Amino acid sequence: MSSDKKMTREELGLQIIIFSLGFFYAIVYYIAVPGTVNLQAVSDQLLAYITAMLTAAFAIGVINLTRVHVNNIKRKRATWKYSVILIICLYAMAIFSMIASPYALDPQAAVIPASVIAFSTPIWEFLYYKILVNINSTIFSLLAFFIASAAYRAFKARSLESTILLAAGLLVVLGQAPIADLVWPGFGAIRDWILAFPNTAGQRGILIGAALGILVFSVRRLFRYPWGD
Amino acid sequence: MYLILLLVITVPVLTHASIAVPITPMTRALYDFIQNLPPNSLVVESFDYATSVVPELHPQAIVVTQHIFMRPLKVLFVALDNNGPPLADAVLDTINKGNKSYGVDYANLGYIPNTATLIGMPSNIAQFLPVDTHGNPTAGLPIIKEFPAAKDAAFVITFDDDSSALYSYLQYWQGSFNIAVAVGATATIAPGFMPFYNSGQLVGVLISIRGAAEYESLLNQQYHCCLGISGASSAMVALSASHVLIVAMVVFGNAAYFISRRTSKREK
Repeated sequence: MSSDKKMTREELGLQIIIFSLGFFYAIVYYIAVPGTVNLQAVSDQLLAYITAMLTAAFAIGVINLTRVHVNNIKRKRATWKYSVILIICLYAMAIFSMIASPYALDPQAAVIPASVIAFSTPIWEFLYYKILVNINSTIFSLLAFFIASAAYRAFKARSLESTILLAAGLLVVLGQAPIADLVWPGFGAIRDWILAFPNTAGQRGILIGAALGILVFSVRRLFRYPWGD
Repeated sequence: MYLILLLVITVPVLTHASIAVPITPMTRALYDFIQNLPPNSLVVESFDYATSVVPELHPQAIVVTQHIFMRPLKVLFVALDNNGPPLADAVLDTINKGNKSYGVDYANLGYIPNTATLIGMPSNIAQFLPVDTHGNPTAGLPIIKEFPAAKDAAFVITFDDDSSALYSYLQYWQGSFNIAVAVGATATIAPGFMPFYNSGQLVGVLISIRGAAEYESLLNQQYHCCLGISGASSAMVALSASHVLIVAMVVFGNAAYFISRRTSKREK
């Protein structure tokens, strides 16, 4: 939809809410009204409502995921077995987490019997520390093998620019290896110099560019919600 | 090639081979800052990493937390990643807590569910995080009675795997309340934090498991303890060997590329 098109009444209402809240949060940092209305307190209260809204959104996500995968199972679609595993893992982890974990609903056993919590605690610890942590770490560790493979397949000095990039990358990698520092302390010094100067210069450019982009987008959004354009 | 990589990583780890680790200025700066914090200062440790980067960031969290517990400081544990609270518990189970007691000297306030909570905490912790991970009302904890607002914190360190947590703390805690910030980062994202370190916005940066090994070495130099507490030091030979192997692979790949290019030119 083009930005020239007239807003519907619903869109206008939503735009007024977006502008009012956005403007309020922008000015609350700059002004204080002593003795009358504590704008910071109002701001804090509104922020607390966001937590409630996001929690509801999360619940909708779980309901949606469940519906999709239960339908997969009911209709015996090609991947229905994976849906069974997903549903079991999702709810088993959620139930044990709600009973015995740092996210427990009733950690002081006011409603849930202490025996149930005592029974669930080692199961949750096993699921989290022995299964989840190790599976995720293992998958992430595969990156080492991808990099090793890419090292002789892709990292080629095909042009001047790629040669400079490759040389800088190799020196930083070597500098990060403690043994290289022991062979020649210069590797560490070169790594620190690359990180402190060329890297910082490039990163600052990216950061400033991204910040300006966010500012422009925010102002645009405050004054005119981009309905589809 | 995969087999060589597997061997250069697993053999040093299994044989507990060790190597001296030179200290980088970023690690030294963080260590000195914590060492020089005034007694009874409030420190916030934010566990903002997923379980996938536990091998890189968990050792950092262990050594920094151990150092903080060896000093007369108060600590609040929070997390901007939902995996953070149990990882903070795991760190607390690993370190020597000395005579520090829960609720008085430290507390695990759990997951900060969104930026709104992070923005609100500097003005009132108990309003935004009403219970800790043990179900205790936050407002009743002695540490919260002493420090009811996060703006009273002297220092926050985030163990961050995706930049977002650090940016949030820089924007909302340092920008508004001038709270000192440091970061423990994975090797892949650490270069992105150098502008903040060079401008003085970050008091220190720990880079990957090597940063943890350096910190462990500093603790050992000063307190004659803690060597091996995080497992980082014993991973340094494997780290060195894998890095050197990858550099060798790049050199080998480029040599092969130039030879094949020269050969094909001659044939033409």
